[in-house]
Amino acid sequence: MPVHESDVCVIGGGITAAMLVERLTELKPGLRITVVEAGRSIFDRENRGQYHRRALEYGEHPWHDDFIEDQQAKGMISMTMAVGGQALHWGGACNRFSEEDLRLKSMYGLADDWPITWTELERYYVEAERRLNVAGDTSPYPQDRRSAPYPQPAMPLSYNLQVLKKWAEQSGLKFSPLPMSRNVTAPFGGRGQCGLYDTCGDVCPTGARYSPDYTYQQLTAAKKVTLHDRMLVRRLVVEEGRSTIAMAQGYHQDRPNEVTEYRATQFILASGQCWSPHLLLLSTSARFPNGLANRSGAVGRFMNGHKFISAQATIADETFPGQNMTHSLISREYFRCATDKAFVRHDTRVWESSAGKEPRLRGATGELLLGDELLNEWRGRALKGSSVRLRTYYDSHPSRDSRLSLDPASKNRYGDPMPKIERRLDAAAEAREAATLAHCTAAFERMARASNGRLTGKPSVSDYWDHPAGGCRMGTDPATSVCDSFGRTHDHENLFVIGAPTLPTGGCTNGTLTFVALSLRSAAEVAKS
Amino acid sequence: MRRRALLQWLVSGAVTLPVWRADLSDAALAQADVLSTGHVFVLRDVATTVLPSAIGAKGQDEAVDSFLRWLREYQEGVPLSHGYGAPRLVRTGPSPAPGYASQITALQQAATERGGRFGALPLSERRAILDAAFKSAGIQNLPSRPDGKHVVADLMAHYFRSSAANDLCYNARIGRHTYRAIRVTTARPQPLSGGQGR
Repeated sequence: MPVHESDVCVIGGGITAAMLVERLTELKPGLRITVVEAGRSIFDRENRGQYHRRALEYGEHPWHDDFIEDQQAKGMISMTMAVGGQALHWGGACNRFSEEDLRLKSMYGLADDWPITWTELERYYVEAERRLNVAGDTSPYPQDRRSAPYPQPAMPLSYNLQVLKKWAEQSGLKFSPLPMSRNVTAPFGGRGQCGLYDTCGDVCPTGARYSPDYTYQQLTAAKKVTLHDRMLVRRLVVEEGRSTIAMAQGYHQDRPNEVTEYRATQFILASGQCWSPHLLLLSTSARFPNGLANRSGAVGRFMNGHKFISAQATIADETFPGQNMTHSLISREYFRCATDKAFVRHDTRVWESSAGKEPRLRGATGELLLGDELLNEWRGRALKGSSVRLRTYYDSHPSRDSRLSLDPASKNRYGDPMPKIERRLDAAAEAREAATLAHCTAAFERMARASNGRLTGKPSVSDYWDHPAGGCRMGTDPATSVCDSFGRTHDHENLFVIGAPTLPTGGCTNGTLTFVALSLRSAAEVAKS
Repeated sequence: MRRRALLQWLVSGAVTLPVWRADLSDAALAQADVLSTGHVFVLRDVATTVLPSAIGAKGQDEAVDSFLRWLREYQEGVPLSHGYGAPRLVRTGPSPAPGYASQITALQQAATERGGRFGALPLSERRAILDAAFKSAGIQNLPSRPDGKHVVADLMAHYFRSSAANDLCYNARIGRHTYRAIRVTTARPQPLSGGQGR
């Protein structure tokens, strides 16, 4: 039976693990670190231009075999399982949460406070932004205070976004370019400069948008980290008579009958909001019949993220769809909510759009359009004003019953029950759903009307929660939380959970920067250990 | 249609074909290896009707060439983008080439029954032929990318969904999904040709 020994064993090879490991190698050079990832390494950056072309022309997935067909969860919003994780094809949005996210209970009597101060988290936001080389502008809202500037100036606004900014600000909201993890001004971190292919969410041919595979390649090439890919950890085992973790048991895809033991001083669970609680729940024993780190019963509970409301508007101004469709504007106006008003918190986003302005095969009366007819009909619609895409991510507080459970009806090749995730709002959040929709609709309408525009159709609420998090929430009380603010589990002193799973609530804007900031803070604590 | 049959058809045609565009060389045959030369010939003829005249005969031929390259490089059984939110695994289906060949033959037959070569028929006749073909294939709108339902709809989608067509529509050098320096996008796009653009 193969046995691998290291100082730190990291389970999961996504963006939070990449950041944590990179930081650990700086804080403690020579530390023996092993990263174990269930998916495969896709280190073929030389082919990404080709993958980009084929994704556009054929709709092919540009990350070949980045999933394991029998290792899927119900309620999961992405199939990706590979070295780099879902950040292989994220858009690169790097918004910060705001102080209110950390103090929901004390400010509004809602959900829970985070066991960390804003000042403390902000330090790690700065570090996360530096490592991800975020391009951003200082927020026009003074409450969004920063202790250091962004490492790069904001991504320059396209002509379209300049037009839309002028339009959107007539409503009284203030907009900024969305902070992005993209190499805008020069290559950085072994990755190229942005060439605006505008396919960041699928594949970035130049590597300008941060992608964790680069970090893993650099760390393994420098022999600072050992990476074992295609190795599924199915179980954590506790030491006899103690509460520390003794080993992780892995199974390689090519050797499904052979267990590989990973023994380490520290174990870091970095498998995201789905597979982290899943592994803890799977790791049952006579001593721990409810799984590990689960004395509180909170593992797999309070699954969060945020719901969103989408709309389309038409306005009189002219734009040229296709300039930079993956960049957007953000207003943080509604990150704050007066404590004496009805609670509603959300970001407000604006994109260029070609909705309603795509070529059509048939005219208004159903006649078939050919050649010049089709082009002329298309021009007739396309050149008449512009479409705008609008969206708000809104604060969606989870109930304790918002949970990940083991689904006996769905099993992988080993017979392990797969996760089933069912997200639920808490009672207060459920009660304000209609008011939130009304508020966001009114905000969209106010923006549209400001320049004789209008909404095309009713705004709609998402049927899933974006930027999912939770399942191993942090807290000061071991009776109601899984880990402390560093991710150290209350029940096992050498077991940390990092990143998304630790969030008590999911905020009202993109979560990745927060997942990374928290993981960097965890790295400092792991290094101390 | 084999080369001999095609040549017989050309010779027997009552109308004059734009023979200068009919490349029956071995190189062209090899290039269009998934459709016969005859099929490609008919497709180029149809292209003059379904693609915009603004790109000229050369541009129409290039659009057909690009579509044939797309067909040649098509791969079966490859996972499509999983999607986000409600992901699912879907793979590309079998090559559409055999279906395309039958559809082109059917178009040619329909044209012959109406009096000759497709491109030489009155526009109303050409529209009727394509309308019937699209209805039979269950095509309501232009697919977002070629989907194998009908070769002509797919040729149209391949062109009209392209970055070049987007530029033509707006008469602007937008260059969607092509490599561009960021600074280029910060200004109003230049018109394709003289004038003020859109």
